[in-house]
Amino acid sequence: MSRFFATGSDSDTDSSSEEEIIPRQAAPIYTFSDDEEEVKRVVRSTKEKRYEELTNLIKQIRNFKKIKDMSSMLTSFEDLQRAYMKAIPVVQKEENGQTPRFYVRCLVELEDFIVEMWEDRDGRKNLSKNNSKSLASLRQKLRKYIKDFEEDIAKFRENPDQPDDEEEEDKREPEPDSDSDVPIKAPIKITKPILRDEGESSSDSDDWPSDSESSSGSSEDEEKFTSMRERFLKRTTEKDDDDDKDKDKKKDERRKERKDREKRKLRREDEEDEEGEWETVKGGVAIPSEKPKMFAKDAEIDLNLVVKKLNEIIAARGKKRTDRREQIELLHELAAIADQHNLGSAIVVKIKFAIISAIFDYNPKVSDAMKPEYWTKLIERMSEMLDMLQHHDNILISESVTEETERFDEPPYRIRGCVLTSLERLDDEFTKLLKECDPHSNEYVERLKDESKVFAIINKVQKHLEVFGSQSELCRIYLRKIEHLYYKFDPRVLQFKSGELPPTTITSMQEMERLCKYIYAKDGTDRLRTRAILSHIYHHALHDNWFQARDLVLMSHLQETIQHSDPSTQILYNRTMAHLGLCAFRHANIKDAHNCLVDLMMTGKPKELLAQGLLPQRQHERSKEQEKIEKQRQMPFHMHINLELLECVYLVSAMLIEIPYMAAHEFDARRRMISKTFYQQLRSSERQSLVGPPESMREHVVAAAKAMRNGHWGACNNYIINEKMNTKVWDLFYQADAVRAMLTKLIKEETLRTYLFTYSHVYDSISMSTLADMFELEKAIVHSIISKMIINEELMASLDDPSQTVVMHRSEPSRLQSLALQLADKINNFVDSNERILETKQGNFFLRSANQGGFRGDRQNFRAGNVQDWTRQRRDNRRDY
Amino acid sequence: MAKFDLTSRMGQYLDRHLVFPLLEFLSAKEIYDETELLKAKLDILSKTNMVDYAIDIRRQLYPNEEVPEELKQRRVHVVAQLQELQQEVEPIIKVMGNDEVMKNMENMRDSKTLINFLAKDYNFEIDMIESLHKLAKYRYECGNYSVSTSYLYFCMLVLPPNDKNYLSVLWGKLASEILVQNWESALEDLNKLREYIDSSPNHFGGNSLQLLQQRTWLIHWSLFVFFNHAMGRELIIEMFLYRPHYLNAIQTMCPHILRYLATAVIINRGRRSALKDLVKVIQQESYTYKDPITEFLEHLYVNFDFDGARQKLHECQTVLFNDFFLISCLEEFVENARLMIFETFCRIHQCISIGMLAEKLNMNPDEAECWIVNLIRNARLDAKIDSKLGHVVMGAQPLSPYQQLIEKIDSLAVRSETLVGLIDRKLKARNDIRWGTQEF
Repeated sequence: MSRFFATGSDSDTDSSSEEEIIPRQAAPIYTFSDDEEEVKRVVRSTKEKRYEELTNLIKQIRNFKKIKDMSSMLTSFEDLQRAYMKAIPVVQKEENGQTPRFYVRCLVELEDFIVEMWEDRDGRKNLSKNNSKSLASLRQKLRKYIKDFEEDIAKFRENPDQPDDEEEEDKREPEPDSDSDVPIKAPIKITKPILRDEGESSSDSDDWPSDSESSSGSSEDEEKFTSMRERFLKRTTEKDDDDDKDKDKKKDERRKERKDREKRKLRREDEEDEEGEWETVKGGVAIPSEKPKMFAKDAEIDLNLVVKKLNEIIAARGKKRTDRREQIELLHELAAIADQHNLGSAIVVKIKFAIISAIFDYNPKVSDAMKPEYWTKLIERMSEMLDMLQHHDNILISESVTEETERFDEPPYRIRGCVLTSLERLDDEFTKLLKECDPHSNEYVERLKDESKVFAIINKVQKHLEVFGSQSELCRIYLRKIEHLYYKFDPRVLQFKSGELPPTTITSMQEMERLCKYIYAKDGTDRLRTRAILSHIYHHALHDNWFQARDLVLMSHLQETIQHSDPSTQILYNRTMAHLGLCAFRHANIKDAHNCLVDLMMTGKPKELLAQGLLPQRQHERSKEQEKIEKQRQMPFHMHINLELLECVYLVSAMLIEIPYMAAHEFDARRRMISKTFYQQLRSSERQSLVGPPESMREHVVAAAKAMRNGHWGACNNYIINEKMNTKVWDLFYQADAVRAMLTKLIKEETLRTYLFTYSHVYDSISMSTLADMFELEKAIVHSIISKMIINEELMASLDDPSQTVVMHRSEPSRLQSLALQLADKINNFVDSNERILETKQGNFFLRSANQGGFRGDRQNFRAGNVQDWTRQRRDNRRDY
Repeated sequence: MAKFDLTSRMGQYLDRHLVFPLLEFLSAKEIYDETELLKAKLDILSKTNMVDYAIDIRRQLYPNEEVPEELKQRRVHVVAQLQELQQEVEPIIKVMGNDEVMKNMENMRDSKTLINFLAKDYNFEIDMIESLHKLAKYRYECGNYSVSTSYLYFCMLVLPPNDKNYLSVLWGKLASEILVQNWESALEDLNKLREYIDSSPNHFGGNSLQLLQQRTWLIHWSLFVFFNHAMGRELIIEMFLYRPHYLNAIQTMCPHILRYLATAVIINRGRRSALKDLVKVIQQESYTYKDPITEFLEHLYVNFDFDGARQKLHECQTVLFNDFFLISCLEEFVENARLMIFETFCRIHQCISIGMLAEKLNMNPDEAECWIVNLIRNARLDAKIDSKLGHVVMGAQPLSPYQQLIEKIDSLAVRSETLVGLIDRKLKARNDIRWGTQEF
């Protein structure tokens, strides 16, 4: 507001002498350069001056329009806005609060032009980046701006061809005009609101005749004359300015008045909008068929008429000039009429169907979500329609019915259409809607509440299709249902497994089983089956059915073919593997857990692989389109898998595998890294000069790994299982305590193994009961672990049964010995490769003469060195013994 | 012991006629109620043509009732039909009576020349084979297995492998051979059948489910052969464990077969290497199938729980005793299982008290000592008995690293030597050639 006032009153009055002297520049015919302007100081009225500024800018905009220079247009438009702001006081005074007509015209033209540009997708694509960006922002700004002028624009559109100078007349009767809006239009009894609420996206639609370009051309001329005439006629003097000052005082009051009026008017318009009774007549060229009203007043409404009308409305669908919003309203009206006159359920269903598709059409862009109010409408219509279908089982609705064979008059009714497709679309829209919301807001929760409604609709459709549908349709609907089921955890399943529930209860597990089996058996396309299998595995894994899940994975052989499937299936596969890994972990199958998760974790971008967010862009790795596509693939938030949990499980499993392995193969040259990611964590912590107490989950795992390496199971356990880790990770498991107990047990066992590997060379013998005490394990378990190690030749020791001790065989090689063994291995490899080389070269004898000599010499040198080394080692070895 | 009885599970995958031996066996063991078994037999017989046998069983079951008229009529009907079928294939049977022709036939290259030969000399028509096949089936249904064997043999000679009846001929032949207990040719048929199934997946229209079913059947039928043929114990491991298709079939369709596989591995001392693979499979399937035998292996080789293994061994004995296929190898099984426990024990321990060992092996101490002495004497075990303390002390010490190193390097010198020699010789040869070609 401050700016408004600033320009409106203060600056105007104070600096008027300065500003007003600036010569006004009117039509392009009289182009003055700036210098000239300063020389020729002509005194002019504020009105003149402001108007000239405006017209100038408008002219510019027109020019830019012609050459489609969006960025310049944007700046001009901004200037125009500013200029108009300045001009408002004058307008208040001169025009009695009416927006000057030429200004409105400009706005209207601009709007039309932008809409046209916007609709023209191909053209838009061809625009330069700068231009297209400007177009978008211009469109938005204009929309916002235009809201203030709705009334004027509407009026203008009524009668676009009126000469601009009519404003004079308007000015004279502003009050009656604005009020008379109602009475004038009241008699035109029309049942739909066409008042375009510009604030909403309907401004996209193009009601304006496409020849606006040419008409604007002609009006341009008119305007030129206007301004010229002004130029000659209105020579205002200083006096006027004085008057201005006086008037300024009054202005505020008047402005208030005007605003009130506007407000009133707006309110009225809103009412109109809601009641849907009034329409503002648009400039001549609207769709004539739906123009005046539904039916003639006294027409007898019967089925044929309604069908005809319906077809009429539907025919307009998709056409450029059709107002989609209006279509929806029309169809609603039609439905009400059909209902009133008891025309039978079939036609109502048909109309509802049309409404649904109209709502789908409402949103012009596929990637955007629909507006919530339309969404709720959509859900309502859909469930109404399905209810009707359910109550009247003599309605056949299918794609195979052609339009000619549709029958509404008597049962069995036949309607063309596909419930399933609408449902699938609806479901997709729902996902889009969810993705649009901020997942941490209440809005998301509100939207998510609709999930149950969607699910209910799916159930209804399923029931319907189970009666009428074909096998492939059933497969599709089942898959939809599966996709709503598979990620949901049903605690009843676990209760059922432990026998707490009677065997007759149907848990989500049974439901999934039934649906999936049907798809396995009946599906013809591979994709549905693959998705069903993956969802089934996911569901099994979610509910701790490790064996079933594993067997399904193994039997389906999906691992081999998944690369060739579509991205969304691959995402599902990744999600499934993640959950399978978690399930394996809960079942203490650490190796399997590691194997399941390693692919996800190794890349370092599990977030992207699970479609739970995009990685920040690096050097234009993907284009805009790609990013858009990727965005579409993202999972809605409520289906996300906790990444920290995933990573923690992975790291802990890696630790449990890797640390004993490291201890066992300390000096082994052929030691392989099992988990790269884990090593990275270890190394990064080793690089730190000062290691503080662990804070993050990763640091905890690393600290635990270090403790384990030293054979300190208690410390290790405390690092893994403590309050911080509980809240961060472990409490996310359904049976957290069981998981923790399992973890403690595993940590003990693996630490025992690590301990034996690391420290066996300092023991001659060790009592098993001591070990059992040390690691708080049962003796049988210690015995079993040690036996396993002995059998697998990991530990050179044997048990002494009478004394219950482990006797070490001193066979753990010392560092030197193991190095010697390594060397021997290497030499062996070397000799092997030599032999192989000779074998391959045996054939072509002459060719190798060149490198033969060098090769041989090399080898001899090497051999000599090696022999020396070897003898030295032997000496050392002897000393050892 | 009915808990571990697999007859009902196996029955689904066996031919009606093959179930009879199992039922006979069960009634001898008296695990189940006798009348129930008889009823089951009767039920099975009702769909075969062994009317006489059915009448017998009926008498046993309901001694006071008269044989129903229906059965008698059926008997007449069966005989009549048999006659009719027999007449249709008269010429073939005549040919089959002629030894010389049969010998000629066996030497024929393929079925086409054979058919030509037969058609020329013995007014044979290809349609007759169809009838012969029918007759063989009929004979089989009547329990006349040996006759149907010879008929089916003829069919196999004549029919090309892509004939629609070929598969059923193969199955029929196998079943009849099993039922006449001719294991040698049964094994031959089994291999033929297996090759047929494995090599021609498109015979089943690429339908993997059907293929799986065929394999499952084959697995079950083959048990008869494998546990009766001398070579069977080798072959069963070969087929069940090392042919992925069959292992798959076992895992998905019939994990209970693991019992037989496990037994075969245990009693086959030469195939200790198979144990590891087997244990893996058993562990994988432990949630779907468990019996004392698989658990025994699990205890012994996964958990090293010797007490548990001992208990399971005890249970194993009863299971084996009540199993149709395994009863013959009970002794062997117990002996080998003990040896396995002992071997594992020895590998882990360096000093064992005989008392404990005896306990773990289900033997009394004296017997155990005797057993160990025998093992030592047969040089299967490097150990000594400390009779004062009652200990067995193992002799073997693992290799020292020094020895390991020497072992590794030992051959290197020789190998390098030969390499150098080889290269030298070649170099010399090359030089000679050069001198020769340059002609100084």
